[in-house]
Parts: sequence; C-alpha cells; structure tokens
Amino acid sequence: MGKIRDWFSYLSHFVYAEKLESMDQILQQIPQQLINGVTVGGVYALIAIGYTMVYGILFMLNFAHGEVYMIGGFTGWWVLHLLTNSSGGLLLNGFIVIILMILFAMALTGALGMGIERFAYRPLRNAPRMNLLLSALGVTIVLRNLVLNLQGAKIRFFHTSALIPKSIQVFHIGGTVISFMRLLVIGVSIGLMAILTWFVKETKMGKAMRATAQDTEAATFMGIDVNRIILLTFLIGSALGGAAGALVGLLFTQVDYYVGYVAGLKGFTAAVLGGIGSIPGAMVGGFILGIVESLATTLISSTYKDVVSFIILILVLLIRPWGILGEKAPEKV
Amino acid sequence: MALSSLGQKKIGDIPLQSLVLILAVVVVIPWIMPNNYWIRIAGNAGLWIMLSLGLNVVAGFAGLLDLGYVAFYAIGGYTYALLCSGHWNIHLPFWLVVPICALAASACGWGLGFTSLRVSGDYLAIVTLGFAEIVRLLLLNLDRPINITGGPNGLPDLDFAHIFGFTFRTVTQYYYLVMFFALLVILASYRLKRSRLGRGWEALREDELAADAMGVNTTYMKLLAFGIGASIAGGAGAVFASWQGGVFPNNFGFSQLVTVYCMLILGGVGNIWGVILAAIILSILPEALREYGAFRMIGYGLLLVVLMALRPQGILGEISLRPKRKKKEVEEPETLKAAEELFYGDGSHDFVKPLKKGKLNKDRVLLELKDLTMIFGGLHAVDRLSLKVYEGEILSIIGPNGAGKTTVFNLITGIYPPTSGHIIFDGKEITGLKPHKVVEKGVARTFQTLRLFTNMTVLENAMVAQHCRTKSGLFSILFRLPGFLKEEEEIERVAKENLGLFGARLTGFRYKQKAINLSYANRRRLEIARALATDSRLILLDEPSAGMNPKETEEITRFIRNLRDKYGYTFIIIEHKLNVVRTISDRVIALDYGKKIAEGSYDEVADNEYVVQAYLGRKKGRV
Repeated sequence: MGKIRDWFSYLSHFVYAEKLESMDQILQQIPQQLINGVTVGGVYALIAIGYTMVYGILFMLNFAHGEVYMIGGFTGWWVLHLLTNSSGGLLLNGFIVIILMILFAMALTGALGMGIERFAYRPLRNAPRMNLLLSALGVTIVLRNLVLNLQGAKIRFFHTSALIPKSIQVFHIGGTVISFMRLLVIGVSIGLMAILTWFVKETKMGKAMRATAQDTEAATFMGIDVNRIILLTFLIGSALGGAAGALVGLLFTQVDYYVGYVAGLKGFTAAVLGGIGSIPGAMVGGFILGIVESLATTLISSTYKDVVSFIILILVLLIRPWGILGEKAPEKV
Repeated sequence: MALSSLGQKKIGDIPLQSLVLILAVVVVIPWIMPNNYWIRIAGNAGLWIMLSLGLNVVAGFAGLLDLGYVAFYAIGGYTYALLCSGHWNIHLPFWLVVPICALAASACGWGLGFTSLRVSGDYLAIVTLGFAEIVRLLLLNLDRPINITGGPNGLPDLDFAHIFGFTFRTVTQYYYLVMFFALLVILASYRLKRSRLGRGWEALREDELAADAMGVNTTYMKLLAFGIGASIAGGAGAVFASWQGGVFPNNFGFSQLVTVYCMLILGGVGNIWGVILAAIILSILPEALREYGAFRMIGYGLLLVVLMALRPQGILGEISLRPKRKKKEVEEPETLKAAEELFYGDGSHDFVKPLKKGKLNKDRVLLELKDLTMIFGGLHAVDRLSLKVYEGEILSIIGPNGAGKTTVFNLITGIYPPTSGHIIFDGKEITGLKPHKVVEKGVARTFQTLRLFTNMTVLENAMVAQHCRTKSGLFSILFRLPGFLKEEEEIERVAKENLGLFGARLTGFRYKQKAINLSYANRRRLEIARALATDSRLILLDEPSAGMNPKETEEITRFIRNLRDKYGYTFIIIEHKLNVVRTISDRVIALDYGKKIAEGSYDEVADNEYVVQAYLGRKKGRV
C-alpha cells in the first residue's frame, strides 16, 4: 500500500508539479469528489441518453448532439439574462426562474433536434453511414458557428447568486461541502431519467419507440408511424441534452460556443461505456464516467481529466465495445 | 527516377500530357499572380492538396472514417519544430527532417490504427476523434513540467528550409517547395490507386468481409492506409511548419479537419482529380469571400449537409479529368450470339485459355472436417460434423433452412472460428485461420447473399482475387519497378482468363462495367469467377443457382461440371434446387439441426427416412 501511495504521489508530482499533497490529503478529498462525480455524472447521463436513443433507432452517431447541449446552455443563460434587471435583481422568484430556464432550454433544443432530424438526417435515411456522419458533422459546424456569430466568442456568465436564498446555498456534512446547485442537478437529472424510464416502459408511444428500435420495418407493418417515432426520439433526446446544458450553466455558471464539443464527446463516452442503444446503460455509464473523472482530478490532475475520459472511451471501444449493459451481437454473414 | 518509367502507359500511370500540363501550370502561377499574397494562397492550395490526398488514402480509398487526421498533421509540424529550431537547439537539415516527420506521424498512424482495429464506422470515427483531442490537449499542456510543445504559445522561430546550400526564404521559393511535395503526393496516390494495394483498399471499403474472404489481409490494409495517410499528413505538417516559421495549437484544430473533409466530399471521396480540384476551390473561395469571413464555417457546414443529401458522390463524382470515350453499352450482334449460347463452359471458345489442369487423385482427401462444432449462445449451429471431400469431387450439402449449411461454409473459410473440432485441408490444419489465410491455402467461396464489390468494375472484382497471390509492396508500386509491372499484367491476365470462362457474359465491354449494374444472374456468375480467380483448388458455392431461371440454372449446372472435368476443381455446393443437386453431385450429405443425418449418392440421401422427415415432418404416430 505504501508503495502505491509513493508511486501515486510521485506521479502527481510529475504530472502537475505545483500540486504537492500527501496521500492523506488526497484521501480526505474523496467523499467530496464522489459527490462532484455524481453531479457531473447526472449531466453526462442526460447527454448520453440523447446519443443512445438515436443510436438505438437509426444506428447513427448524432454528432450534432453536443451542440444541442451547448444551445441548451445558451437558452438557459438567455432566460436568466432576460429575467434579471439592470441592478442584478430578479424579476421573478428564483426557483421559478430556474424552472423556466430548464423548461425553455428543453423546449428550444427539442424543437431543434426535430429540425435537425427532418432536414439533415431524414433525406439520408438510406444513404451510406459515412454520409450520415458527415452530414451530422456539417450540422455541428453550422450550429457552433451560428452561435459564434450571434453571441461572439466570449464566455457568458450565469449570475446565479440571486437565484436562491443565502441560507440554503451550501450544506456542510462532515468535512464535505454540498451546494444547493449540486443537489438541484442531481435531483433534476434523476427525476428526468425516472420520467423517461416510465415513458419508455409504460406508455403506448414508449412501446412504439421500443418496437421501432428493434425492427423499423416490422414496426411500420404494425401500423407505427416510424417517422413520427423518430422525430419523437430526437425531441426527447435533444430536450434532455438541452436540460443538461442549462443545468451545467447553473452549476458552473458559464457557457461559451465551444462547450458542446467536449460535452458531446463525454456524453458519447458515457453512452458507449454503458452500452450504446441501452437507456439504462447510458444512465449507468454517465454516473460511472462522472465519478471516474472526478477521482482522476484528485489523483492525477485536473489538466488531464479530459485525457482520462478519452482514454476510457478508447479502452471501452477496444475491450468491450458493447459496453456494460449492452448486448453483444455477432455479425450476420 | 520516379518519373523514369512513365513510358509504361499500359498500366495506367498518370498520362504524360496531363503531367506536363500540371507542371506547366505550377511553374507559371507565380508569374501570373498579381502579388505575393496570391502566391501564398497558391502555395496554401498546394498544402491542402497534400493534406486532402493523404486523407483520401484513409477515408477515400480504404473508407476508414478517420477524424483524427489533423493530429498527424500536428505531429509532423511539431516534430519539425522540435528538430529545426532553437527550442532545444537542434538544427537538422531539411531533407532529413521531412522524412523523419513523415515517419513519426506514420508510426503514430500505425499505432492509432492498431488500437482501433476492432472498431469500424461510427465507432472508429469517435475513437480517432478522441485521439485527436488527446493530441490537442497534450500540445496545449505539455509546457509543464518540462517545456516540450510551448503550450498555448506554440513554438515560434523555426529554421528556414535549407537544402544543399540553398535556403528557401521568399514566398515564391516556398511555393515551389510546397508544389514539389504536392506533385509527389499526387503521383504517389495515383500510382497507389492503380495497384493491388489500391484495389485491396477499395474492396475493403466496399465489403470488408468479402474482401477478407477473397484473400485481402484487411487488418494489414487498414494499418497501411492509416500509416500512409498519416505520413503524408506528417510531411505536409513539416513543410507547413517550415513555411510558417512556427507552429501553434490552433493550426491543427477542428476547423482544419472540417476543411479537409469538405475538400474530400466536394471532390468526390476517392476521386484524386476531384479532390485536387476541390482543394484548389476551397483554398481560393474563402479569400474571395473574405468579407463574409465569419460565415465561412457556416457555409462549409451547410455545404456538407446539402452535398450529402443531394450529391454524395461529390461535384466531379466518377468523372475523371479526361472525358471518357463513350463506349457503346449495346451488345453487338455477334457478342449477343455468344451470350445466347448455352454452355459457355465447354471450352470451345477461342477466348477461353485453358487453365492449369492438375493431376487428379480421386482417392486423395482434399478437405476433412473432424467433429466440427459451432455453438452460438446455446444453439448448436453445427454439431460434431465430420466429413471428407475427395479431390475432384462435387459434394452437395442439402438440408432445411437453418440446418447450419452456411455456417459450415463460414467455419471452413475462417469467418467464424469453430467452438471445437478440426478442419484439415490438403493434409494441413487450417482450423482458426483468418479468411484471407484460408484463401491463400486454396479454399475460396461465394456468398448466398451476393457480396460483390459493387462499385468496382467487373474486371477489378476479379483482379482483387489475385491479391493474396501477389507480393508487390509500397516501394515497387511507387517506383513502378519491373516486378510490379509484370505482376500487374499477370493479375489482369488471370482475371480475364477466369472471366472469359463465362464467355461474353462477363467479357468485352463488361470488363469496365460496375458490378452493381450487372443482372442478378451475372452477379452470381461474377461471384463464381471471382472465387476462381483466387487460384484456389476447392471452391465453396453457396446456392449458385439461386434466383436463376431454369435455362440459366441448367447452364450454371453444366458449367460447374465442366470446371471440374476440365480444370480439376473440387466443389462443395449448398443448393436448394434438388434437380441441380441430382445432376451435379457425386455425393450428397444432408444436415438438420447442425447434424449430419444422411450421406451418400443423391438417390440414397433422397430416400433416407430422416431426410424425408427433416423436409416434410414426422409421420403421425411415430416417436
């Protein structure tokens, strides 16, 4: 054990020279990092669901999903901005503002998702996969640069301090600090996932969705309007991505036009980790990725936390490409 | 030296007149450009041509969606920066550094290719994108604890290119340097495309499994594509770094990747001249649209979406630079007669050259299966199957749907490794070999659901089959050594010979026809010709007469018999048409639920109680 400790601290010195902490200090941080991990994990899970739902039905990687998330973040910022007066006070109750931010972000991104499907993907439904992916790449570029042109390259800050009363902004449990926003993010993301699970399992539309994912053609023959189901899939997936964007804005209080890229990759990593095509898998994958990443921040360095996620992604794809909860399907000859 | 064998026009090198024309344009451009600014743009176009042609090898020829491509460009650039600057006070000569940069990038390309072998399509795209992101993060952050990359500030003040006492300083000088490399890359990709490697990649792109089953070592070909693409990007990176005099992380970002991909798409994936043209257009267009600069990327994005929807084959598509001479697609009266002739396989045609007829030893076991078992999940698809196939024999496998017939083929040809049991071909164990290795040993197959390389011509389809019989490597292809030229002729001869077995069905104007344009029956014939062109001794035919009319069925039946009688092939045939089975087979085995339920002559098997049961069900009252 001692040896491993030495090795770790040696490693952390090498990678991040300024950080001279002992192993005990690092261990003390672990509960805090776990909470951070669950918070970020919830966000990753929400993004991952969008990837996994689209993949489950169309077998395509919706590359533009990260940008949808980014636009969700901007929508949240915009709502907050509109409801804040010039002196920094709020026009409405803070909690109502939060709800409006999330709802608006979901509505706008949901509509956006449907638009993307209708105009960029549907014409290519029977085209080779490479074309679809490149079309998605095109949508990514358009959205990102549209926001760049409308908003500029600067970071937009969320002035969240007035949203909630000071008394409940931070909670202390032992040596661990939990902010209200973290609880909010965890609560909202788990709540949305619960609603989604109920929807997919219990409702008629949910069943139609699962049928379409299993066999699109057979679903058509059974009287399911597949185009509508696909639109619905994009609506839900994108809305959840948009919600994630708004939540991250509340949590980290900033957004810029470039956040979609890394967030998209993280969401995809989570989806693959859990088993792409599987909704519970995306949830599990999201939380695992969030926790691993937070621990990596403590043990290695925050500079390289993204590198750690991409290495995880590559390793999963190489070792167990069907993920934790996915099923291995042999290639049919 | 590379140009010395240009006279060999027969095996499609760049036509001399095109080359002269391009050279003239390249030389003249600096003289007609109004100022240095435009010469610089022309030079940039040269860099983009290099980059897009490099990507064309990976994504165009081999069809591998490599989104990490700019990382190799970056590796090349930064390698140059480290080896030719005051940063570490290393000043290597330019002619040495460019190959080093190309090699460094190539090594990383092989590495990335190797780690991502198991994934394809979208997964490959995302793995490579992750790789590019890792490289970008490293470039940005490796200024601590030791300063390697200079972090966000990059590495400025690099050496000028310096070759044998001459230093490149002015824009015009650098323009010529860049164009020299661009021309090398154009020449190299042209030659690669028209070689066994080019055809191997194309086959891989069209259908990976079929390529493997036709003897293309798909693993190696993928790695090679990654390696070559990366080395071109690395070389381009070095030239770029030298010209710019510095490297910065944002020279190698997402927008560069998008630009290269736009060039590839606009030009038509895989189409060399199209890609070059697109690279030129997309280098000049942004300058012309400079005042709308902010919307340039949006334009690129929309271009991708719209092009994918409306014209996925690119602006030029399949049209090459030289307009093709219009070939009549109408069959002439005489050829029509030949095609009407029934038994094209009887060898009476002049164009059918006799193949080698080996000595047949009818008692020799060519293929033996011992207790072959394949279990999918809990299902025994093949259950302890043992059988022997003798040299020169035609063995038919029959059985109801799902009996495991095709699985037997997949096991023999190495597509699945068996759960247990042995496969022995010609006295040697071939159990668990990869499909391309099995072909090399002399076992080829056709597929029940046709798996031709649909976007390749009939002739190319047959030429791919010679891949595992030929050896030409990169070096001899790039320099067109005599060995390569001889081999190419031989490949074409073998391919034509085997296509010729089908008479006018697959020869003449059909050589240049794409497989996708053939009739269904002709596609089946082409599958057989392709299998024969691998020079294999044992041919596995999976429902050779499926989808054929009675006349065509009779034709193909007689043809298979003739192949055996005249050329000594051995056949295993899966067939549902029992009249075909009756006329053709020396021996028949029947499978049901993966087990052999009967074996013997057609009549014996047809009368077998179990076979009748398997097809028609059990009689009432029996257990």
